[in-house]
Amino acid sequence: MGKAFDPLLIIEFIPTLVHYLGVTLQILAASIFLGLILGIAAAIPRLFKIPLLNQVVILYVSFIRGTPIIIQLFLVFYGLPAVLMLFNIDISKLEAIYFVIITYAISNGASFAEIFRGAIRAVDYGQTEAAYSVGMTARQNFFRVVFPQAIRIAFPNMANSVIGSLKDTSLAFTIGVMDMVGRGDTLIASTAHALEVYISLSIIYYAVVLLFEKIFSKLEKYFNRYQKSNVSTTA
Amino acid sequence: MTIDIPFIWIAFKEIVKSLPITLILTVVPLLIGFLIGIAVALVRVYQVKFLYRAANGYVSFFRGTPIIMHVMLIYFGFPLLINQISERFDLGIQANSIPIILFVLTALSLAAGAYLSEIIRSGILSVSNGQLEAAYSVGMTSFQAMIRIILPQALAQSIPNFTNIFVGFLHTSSIAFLVSEKEVTGAANIVASTNLKFLEAFIAAGMIYWGLTIIVEGISFLLEKRVTAYNRGGVS
Repeated sequence: MGKAFDPLLIIEFIPTLVHYLGVTLQILAASIFLGLILGIAAAIPRLFKIPLLNQVVILYVSFIRGTPIIIQLFLVFYGLPAVLMLFNIDISKLEAIYFVIITYAISNGASFAEIFRGAIRAVDYGQTEAAYSVGMTARQNFFRVVFPQAIRIAFPNMANSVIGSLKDTSLAFTIGVMDMVGRGDTLIASTAHALEVYISLSIIYYAVVLLFEKIFSKLEKYFNRYQKSNVSTTA
Repeated sequence: MTIDIPFIWIAFKEIVKSLPITLILTVVPLLIGFLIGIAVALVRVYQVKFLYRAANGYVSFFRGTPIIMHVMLIYFGFPLLINQISERFDLGIQANSIPIILFVLTALSLAAGAYLSEIIRSGILSVSNGQLEAAYSVGMTSFQAMIRIILPQALAQSIPNFTNIFVGFLHTSSIAFLVSEKEVTGAANIVASTNLKFLEAFIAAGMIYWGLTIIVEGISFLLEKRVTAYNRGGVS
């Protein structure tokens, strides 16, 4: 099990590993962006109860909520090439990072869809009635009245989702992606100081999560700037 | 590569045998985590001096780092610690003789404790202050009020959150396969690599997790109805 514990190595490893934080953040940013699009697309059939599509989305969300992300990762990694092969598209040479991004986008899409749906339904129906009473169209009502309020309601959940997703990216190395944890793995192989590597990784993840939490709580305050303090969710 | 559909069923039967380990890896950490969670939540709600800071640090760290890190830290860290202590006090315990699953259970329990403490804390804070005042007014002590009045309501309100955590930890137990534990994902990995049918094996594993999740959510729904039956709202 490796050599004696050396605390100095923890500090020594951090710069090497931070170098690969970019890959982790890249996966996160790409999958959040694609997940947002997918989430909006999936929330619409649920909100307007479009037959068939509604059921498909329910199944999609249930599956993503019902299986571990690591299983989803393996399913995409092994399944997507097999499925696309049926259409004579060969993606077996595609880099592993794209499979990771696709998986996390699909996974984020499901949670975003649920968050959007919940948030839009949480906006008081009186708001819509008020909008119609001053002569707004359905579209104006949605974009000017309901949507801005829904963002405020959805934001804390979205922030949690993003942070959860950041932590989930630590599993990307299982299909061979060279992110922070993947680099850590090679460090372990070359130095046999597993514990020190994982302490360094934990420190980096913790620092990034704390930073994200700080930014999100600032943003949340901003979104709540028109709320009276006694009903604020940030109290 | 084509999909061998009959093999999914063969793989399913093989993988399902490892379900008990997955369930142990889910339930035991949640039970231990529940005890940790209550203790930590009470420390934080009552703002016990000094301990309060430690509790905050614990919750913040475990919620702020991926669970795979906790598993790895304990998997690699505890053996060193145990060997050192054993050497110092001449206990003759060898870390190699401790089954890996105990390290995984420790790590998952600590993580579960952090997540559950947040849920229990928010449950306690959500019980209206009037309940506490009413308890005091009939002469209960703080301890009685907490055990008889506040906690039961706090826990009942937290059932949806507990379900989420249960499902979350059911899924989290899958990372135990990274330290070669033979639970559902680990078994799927073995079936996959011995037969070179990766997709089929993971489809089977996915179905097991999905099925379990649906069952757990169903039970929770029934439980929630029962436990919150007293809570009918204002008029009826």
